[in-house]
Amino acid sequence: MSETHIQIENVNAYYGRTHSLKNISVQIPKKQITAIIGPSGCGKSTLLKCMNRLIDLTDGVTYSGKILIDNEDIFDRKTDIVDIRKKMGLLAQRPIPLPMSIYENIAYGPKIHGLKKKPDLDAIVEKYLKLVGLWEEVKDRLNSPASQLSLGQQQRLCLARGLAVEPEIILCDEPTSALDPVSSQYIEQQLLKLKNDYTIVIVTHNIHQAMRLADYVIHLYLGEVVEHGLSNDVFENPKEERTRAYINGTFSTELKIDSESDLKGQLCPFNFVYAKQALHNLEDGKILKLIVDDPIAVTEVPRGMEADGHKVLIVKQINKTDWEIVIQK
Amino acid sequence: MELRRIEESIFKVLMVLSLMIVVGSLLAVIGVILWKGLPVLNIDMLTKTAQGGYYLGKGGGILNAIIGSLYLAIGGTALAFLLSIGVAFYLQKEYSGGTRLSSITRLSLDILWGTPSIVYGAFGFTVLMYFHMRASLLAGIIVLALLELPIMTRTMEEVIKTVPQELKEVSYSLGATRLETTLRVVAKQALPGLMTGVLIAFGRGIGDAASILFTAGYTDRIPTSLFDATASLPLAIFFQLGTPLPQVQQKAYASAVILLLIILAISITTRLLSRKYTKYIIK
Repeated sequence: MSETHIQIENVNAYYGRTHSLKNISVQIPKKQITAIIGPSGCGKSTLLKCMNRLIDLTDGVTYSGKILIDNEDIFDRKTDIVDIRKKMGLLAQRPIPLPMSIYENIAYGPKIHGLKKKPDLDAIVEKYLKLVGLWEEVKDRLNSPASQLSLGQQQRLCLARGLAVEPEIILCDEPTSALDPVSSQYIEQQLLKLKNDYTIVIVTHNIHQAMRLADYVIHLYLGEVVEHGLSNDVFENPKEERTRAYINGTFSTELKIDSESDLKGQLCPFNFVYAKQALHNLEDGKILKLIVDDPIAVTEVPRGMEADGHKVLIVKQINKTDWEIVIQK
Repeated sequence: MELRRIEESIFKVLMVLSLMIVVGSLLAVIGVILWKGLPVLNIDMLTKTAQGGYYLGKGGGILNAIIGSLYLAIGGTALAFLLSIGVAFYLQKEYSGGTRLSSITRLSLDILWGTPSIVYGAFGFTVLMYFHMRASLLAGIIVLALLELPIMTRTMEEVIKTVPQELKEVSYSLGATRLETTLRVVAKQALPGLMTGVLIAFGRGIGDAASILFTAGYTDRIPTSLFDATASLPLAIFFQLGTPLPQVQQKAYASAVILLLIILAISITTRLLSRKYTKYIIK
């Protein structure tokens, strides 16, 4: 592993009383792409938000531990968070341009950091729009509202905007989940190109994407690091059963399902009760598949099952509303 | 299936009916005012101050009231804006942190919103008496600002609340401070809504008679300083209608037409202005 850029030590985070990050300690290598994978609700985005302390904006969150970037602890209250954030570009789940023109979107960051001269700003805007391959498409309408661009163009604009403050790190939170396949591919190509100069952390629940992009992988599950390591090792030869199940679950259902229970339309906590009953009728070691459509169940059922000593193998979204949870008794 | 279709059409008819009542009442009010006011409206009404006998005058016009009303409403709105923009931002969760102070502020604003304007007038009058001052433009402006404050603040607060959290996160993630984020991103996104808030408050301010009755007074001259008493359109209508003279009574309707036109003009300008900014808004 190459030089460490972000060192995460014993990070814990709580939403109210929910323990959503449990003693996370990992290192994120410099100028490589690190993918954080895991099912929804496992704490991926929370971990990402800890890195630029955007988590401060969420109500009722408490956190502890250390995150060292260039040997500076960003959780330290004395650290200037504005400086820290300047080091990190953020690419969000869906493209969010600022309510201004295309030009102003890129110039916003440099401007607040003190760049005033128009020629300098012009140069920056052109440079970063070219870098994300948007220049040719927008050079004649730099002053039109950014909201008029297509979603794919908006996401590239957001990338350029993040890069314009000259960060060292790019944090991506499922950056292609709102985009069409062509735009997604474009963003992925950009990221692969950018890793020569930037440390990139990408949160994704798309295993394929992680495989295509990542040099290093962190598998989070219910707030814990299940496994982390070089991408090739993790994907081809996972040490942990849960990682194997998660990776396999996304490709094929090699698991032998012994019983299936459709809990669509059931709300928490009833779906949990039904799931327990279904599990009760099975022998130890048998596998139960649940289909749920209650978003609370997606995190709460696995949590409860783990607490009861069962093994949760897969939690994955199978279509817009439904989730599949596979549990081994 | 059939029953559900019938339900659908019943509710549609009900909605159209309500709509017609709303638009109909507006048209009726405007219609009556125009019908009675237009024949009396002439260029003298707009360009001359009241003349001839007392300050209502059979002769001349109501320029004193037009200018007075504009001074009062613009001054009051500007003052209220300065106060309410700060309060509206402070009431947001990320500033006040949803403290007890913010809920007390909100409660006070809601009560003030419902307070009849004559109460503001009485309050203003008491304060004037206490300081041994006379009715003046300044006092009128201050009382109108108080009257507009709750409307403006609460409207703005609601508008600012709708600015998406992600938008702020973007700004913070680029290293912006809270002030930069507020002024350059949140305010920009909320701008058309903020303008609507100002407009609604202006409308209430320019149309209110009771609050300025004792505080701004009434006169047949155009005020030349903040400490002069000033006339206003709502009071002009009130006094003109109250006279026993039919010629003066008629003028009240012409004054009403002018008041309507002013509100219409401000309304259209605001809409045109805000359209310019609406296109930048992120949905």
